[in-house]
Amino acid sequence: MQSPGVYISAIGHTGLIGWLILGWGLSSDPLPFDVADVSVVSTEEYAALVAATTPQPGVADPPAPATPEIEDAPSTPEPESAAPEVSQPEQAEAPDDETPPPEPPTPPEPPADVIETTPTLAQPEAQATPDLAVSDQPQARPADRVAPVPVAPPPPEADISDLTALAQTADPLADVVSQEPEQDATAPQEAATQIVTEADEPSGAVTSSIRPSARPSRPAPQPQVAEDTSDDDALAAALADALAGADSGPAPALPAGPPLSGSEQDGFRVAVSRCWNVDTGSEAANVQVTVAFDLSRDGKVSGQVRQIASSGGSGNAVETAFQAARRAILRCGAKGFDLPAEKYDHWKAVELTFDPSSMRLR
Amino acid sequence: MLTRLLILLCAVIFAGPINAQTGPLRLTITDGVIEPLPFAAPVFQAENSAAQTAAADLTRLVAQDLSNTGLFREIPPSAFISQHASFGQTVAYADWRAVNAQALITGAASVSGDQLSVKFRVYDVFSGAELGQGLQFTGTVSGWRRMAHKVSDAVYSRITGETGYFDSRVVFVWESGPKDKRLKRLAIMDYDGANVQFLTDSAALVLAPRFSPTGDRVLYTSFESGFPRINVLDVASVGRRQLQTAPGEMAFSPRFSQDGQQVIYSLSNGGNTDIYRGDLNSGASTRLTQAPSIETAPSLSPNGSQIVFESDRSGTQQLYIMGANGGEARRISFGDGRYGSPVWSPRGDLIAFTKQNKGRFHIGVMRTDGSEERLLTASFLDEGPTWSPNGRVIMFTRETQGATGTSSLYSVDISGRNLRPVPLQGGASDPSWGPLQP
Repeated sequence: MQSPGVYISAIGHTGLIGWLILGWGLSSDPLPFDVADVSVVSTEEYAALVAATTPQPGVADPPAPATPEIEDAPSTPEPESAAPEVSQPEQAEAPDDETPPPEPPTPPEPPADVIETTPTLAQPEAQATPDLAVSDQPQARPADRVAPVPVAPPPPEADISDLTALAQTADPLADVVSQEPEQDATAPQEAATQIVTEADEPSGAVTSSIRPSARPSRPAPQPQVAEDTSDDDALAAALADALAGADSGPAPALPAGPPLSGSEQDGFRVAVSRCWNVDTGSEAANVQVTVAFDLSRDGKVSGQVRQIASSGGSGNAVETAFQAARRAILRCGAKGFDLPAEKYDHWKAVELTFDPSSMRLR
Repeated sequence: MLTRLLILLCAVIFAGPINAQTGPLRLTITDGVIEPLPFAAPVFQAENSAAQTAAADLTRLVAQDLSNTGLFREIPPSAFISQHASFGQTVAYADWRAVNAQALITGAASVSGDQLSVKFRVYDVFSGAELGQGLQFTGTVSGWRRMAHKVSDAVYSRITGETGYFDSRVVFVWESGPKDKRLKRLAIMDYDGANVQFLTDSAALVLAPRFSPTGDRVLYTSFESGFPRINVLDVASVGRRQLQTAPGEMAFSPRFSQDGQQVIYSLSNGGNTDIYRGDLNSGASTRLTQAPSIETAPSLSPNGSQIVFESDRSGTQQLYIMGANGGEARRISFGDGRYGSPVWSPRGDLIAFTKQNKGRFHIGVMRTDGSEERLLTASFLDEGPTWSPNGRVIMFTRETQGATGTSSLYSVDISGRNLRPVPLQGGASDPSWGPLQP
């Protein structure tokens, strides 16, 4: 590894030195070019002389000056070619003489490289990548906080929430973490300042996402739309219908406010799973079923619980799995699910997938 | 006007993507609870005075059948808000929801002479709808247990979506006397240990009875002649005949094929044991394995295409699967210990087995490719698993340690829960669970 570096540096140095020397040599060349200018002048004069003067004396004269002049011009390149030829061996010799001395210094350089590499290796092991991540994403520190916090709390919730709301997983973690550090406060004193700021930042992020309070104002335009329709504007009416059709319900067309937070989703999930009775020995335990239903504003199921997808198992097993899912929703939703009323637009329609595969082998 | 249009267009443009982003709330639920489903079974209505006792007995037995599965839990009648739920009356779902009943069973019984009729309905309390339709059975008063089991099967089926197993019988070896001088007789009983009837006397040692697929005959191994011989016994007439084998050959561990016309069994000749298939009518037999090792305990898959058996060809006793007509066998058991007495589930998805490991015996199940092995029991000696007709419960023999040790029958859910003894007077072993009765 070292020798190629040495050779590369040696070649580089020699090249640089050679170029400098050549540069000097070339710089010395322009002087012959001045001579060449003289030769150009001589040709014109020669032509003029040939055209003007008599042949006999001109013939004797022109060849004499012309050839020497032309010979002078090549003669100048010759020294050029000679000069580099000489200079190259000189440079080759000079670097050869010089490289041995550089070589002893170069071996220390590679060790320096090795030393650099080992710290780089040590850094990723320690916390190099987190640092990088932090530096890359000053706002993504929630991710940093997820990592340093003991893995124990996230898994139960993280496993579940990852599938459905990746963007919102930061919220439950933020909630959990923001509570724990406050209680454990003294433990990570070194990072205390960071954690505090991090704890504040994500909350700030949430509030910033809440700020789409502009959206609440959008339901307001709808009444305007309604007014417009009342103004006998057929086009506006059609557009209003399109807007209303975009939402499958009589409720305001646009979901207001931020989506359900991770903890709110978990709360809903737990509320349903508490009533989901899985018969692990049945064939239905091999069936994954997805059901859809609508919720009224008081959190109660309105209308039918519908099966929209299933995988695994025979027809009977699917039906049994669906009935178990339906029973869970109806039982635990009998008194209304505890969901934030201000986010109704986000949970008025629900699709739940019941996956018993992890329970089968318990 | 133009500005209005622009505003509307902007609203449409913005509305589209926002709606696309939100949609319904989508969540996945992976953790449920495993608990018995609570049901209420108010005493069946007696439609005439003669049916008072029968109605109460029927109700008790139905509730007991369901509760014994471990999948259901009876809500004590003392908790009921409305004690009387007349059959055919409109159900006050709110009253049953209040006591957290998820299923409600109402019924009525009537007796006329020797005839007993029972009808019932099942309701899903939380969806406020009846499950299936009302059903009625008629039989003799003395056969009231079977009628209760039939009601239980129907209820079980409507709630779980799977067939029941209550109206079924088990043939087993009844045992009495000390361990070194034990008397054994073939006996038959209801699945819950009631109505024990003997099929043989105790003159000869009998082993390993096996029900036919239709439950009309029993195969078993008898030592009447001093050598193990396979007998076929007709359950109704208790008549029997012996399968012929050549002198010096020992035949044992027989099982019926799915059509009941053939038998697969082990035959030991000159120290080598292999698996054979024999025709019950013609007596012709075919050898299915050719190995110098011991191959025994064959059990056919429900569709009759494969046979699982135990063999020590690898040096220890393990489970193998081969085609129904023999051929190359594939080993499926790879855990520690020794595996034996495999039985293919009627559902076809599992194989039950006995496992001996580190001085203890287990009853376990595995998938037919050997994966997802699950040990359901552990004791000094558990052996001889047999499947309930719906493939949901396994009955087996458990023997206690010591000279005074006794054998008794136990059942366990294939989830490993609900291990319970079968209530029997005296010792019992070698159960074979028959099909649901017609």
